[in-house]
Amino acid sequence: MKTGIQSWLDERFGLSNITKFLKEKTVPQHKHSIWYYTGSAILLFFTIQVITGFMLVFYYKPTLEGANASVARIMTEVPLGWIIRSVHSWAASFLIAFVFIHLLSTWLTKSYRKPRELTWMSGVFLLAASLAFGFTGYLLPWDDLSLSATKVGTDLPRSIPLVGAWVTKLLRGGEDVTGDTLTRFFGFHVSILPVFIFILLGVHIYLIQKHGMGLPLVAEGKKEKMREIPFWPNFVFREMVVWLLLLGILFSLAIFFPPSLDKAADLMAAAPEGIKPEWYFLFLFQTLKIFPAKILFLNGDTLAVFLMLLAGILFFFLPVMDNKPTEKKGRIITIIALVVIAYAVVMTVWSLL
Amino acid sequence: MKLKHSLFSRRQFLNGLLGGWLAALLASFLYPVIKFVFPPTREPDQVILPFADFRQMGPNSVKTFLWGAKPGILKKKDDGSLLAFVGVCTHLDCNVSYLADQRKFFCACHDGWYDENGQNIGGPPPKPLRRLVVSIEEEDLIIKREGEERVEDL
Ligand code: FES
Repeated sequence: MKTGIQSWLDERFGLSNITKFLKEKTVPQHKHSIWYYTGSAILLFFTIQVITGFMLVFYYKPTLEGANASVARIMTEVPLGWIIRSVHSWAASFLIAFVFIHLLSTWLTKSYRKPRELTWMSGVFLLAASLAFGFTGYLLPWDDLSLSATKVGTDLPRSIPLVGAWVTKLLRGGEDVTGDTLTRFFGFHVSILPVFIFILLGVHIYLIQKHGMGLPLVAEGKKEKMREIPFWPNFVFREMVVWLLLLGILFSLAIFFPPSLDKAADLMAAAPEGIKPEWYFLFLFQTLKIFPAKILFLNGDTLAVFLMLLAGILFFFLPVMDNKPTEKKGRIITIIALVVIAYAVVMTVWSLL
Repeated sequence: MKLKHSLFSRRQFLNGLLGGWLAALLASFLYPVIKFVFPPTREPDQVILPFADFRQMGPNSVKTFLWGAKPGILKKKDDGSLLAFVGVCTHLDCNVSYLADQRKFFCACHDGWYDENGQNIGGPPPKPLRRLVVSIEEEDLIIKREGEERVEDL
């Protein structure tokens, strides 16, 4: 029964269309259904990031003089501050890990095929935004490690002809990484990127609702009718079980392994030995390390940047290129996916040795 | 000569006018935005340091100074002469350190190596460390950009 308030609101908002849609939405069940849970896991971690982010912003100071000390204060003085920062830092890693899983499962099951190309493309932008969140957030504690990582990361675009030097300058707020860079990164992290990611999320989720859950290629060929369960409440309850599990793991890790904080970065000091970026950039880091100084007439890092750009563009247009997934071309693209995964894993492990 | 038919319709003309006007308006909005986000930063033409601070340096040792927002490295050679470098790696901009016992500059970011004269000798750095020109005038140590020195030489 609708109460008076419900129907009053419904007449004005028209929400019943949405609730009706959600009641009728179904989720197919097959042996690849497990990947359907990764999307909502990402949303879970994203929500945690928003909430803990709001909290951290109450104490964090985005200036050269204040940044490191304010994080130290959060870790030592602010009641439960260390847990909040630890959860924010761990949830970032989980978020990115699940973004990778989500994306690779889409690639391998070829769920991006027609008509879901734009869902994939908005997803690639979401990946870029997530990595940008990670990259900008890494600088904010302003210790030696984060400074060197930022110097390298913001110097990379410089290799791109014409616009590159300007991109570097835009990111850094000047020729060099300085206190201005820190303030700027804070701005990216808490105001510019959030706006982008909310828009992108909106588009991405709208497209998923519009097209319904994609079926993996192997399941689509089957003639018999696929088993389906209602989205509400059956699937949502199952998701909640997954969320609780993930939250348990997240909080345990956050409590037992809080992130460290080194002494404040010194702009004049030499890069410390054993510097490393966050784990999700390690494969790029190792790639930069093994590229020789000169390849033919090009600088090694220039070539590396071009390859990264090219890979990004190919990745973005993947659904357009992989338009015949059942044929030979599709199988070759699957093999390429596996090679890319193997490359990233090998490089990551190598960088840790 | 007068054409019988106009080459484009009145509507096309007005659309073009309106579109051009909108584009100009947009550009006039974008220009200050772009100006705003790029702060003026200039590398110093020269820095002047009190020589007294550096007189005590032993042979084969380095001392850093501020070169704009970058670290500068002043190195005393075995024969007592001075060399100056911009202390950032030519690979991807990390600050380098001098390992006196090995007589090499080292960049920890991707294991880049330079010899004691700043020549790149190992790892990814594509170029030697950037040199600066040192001169001593009475009690001042003057460090200048290399390019400018050349201009003066002419
Ligand atoms: S930045 Fe020095 S080796 Fe890469």
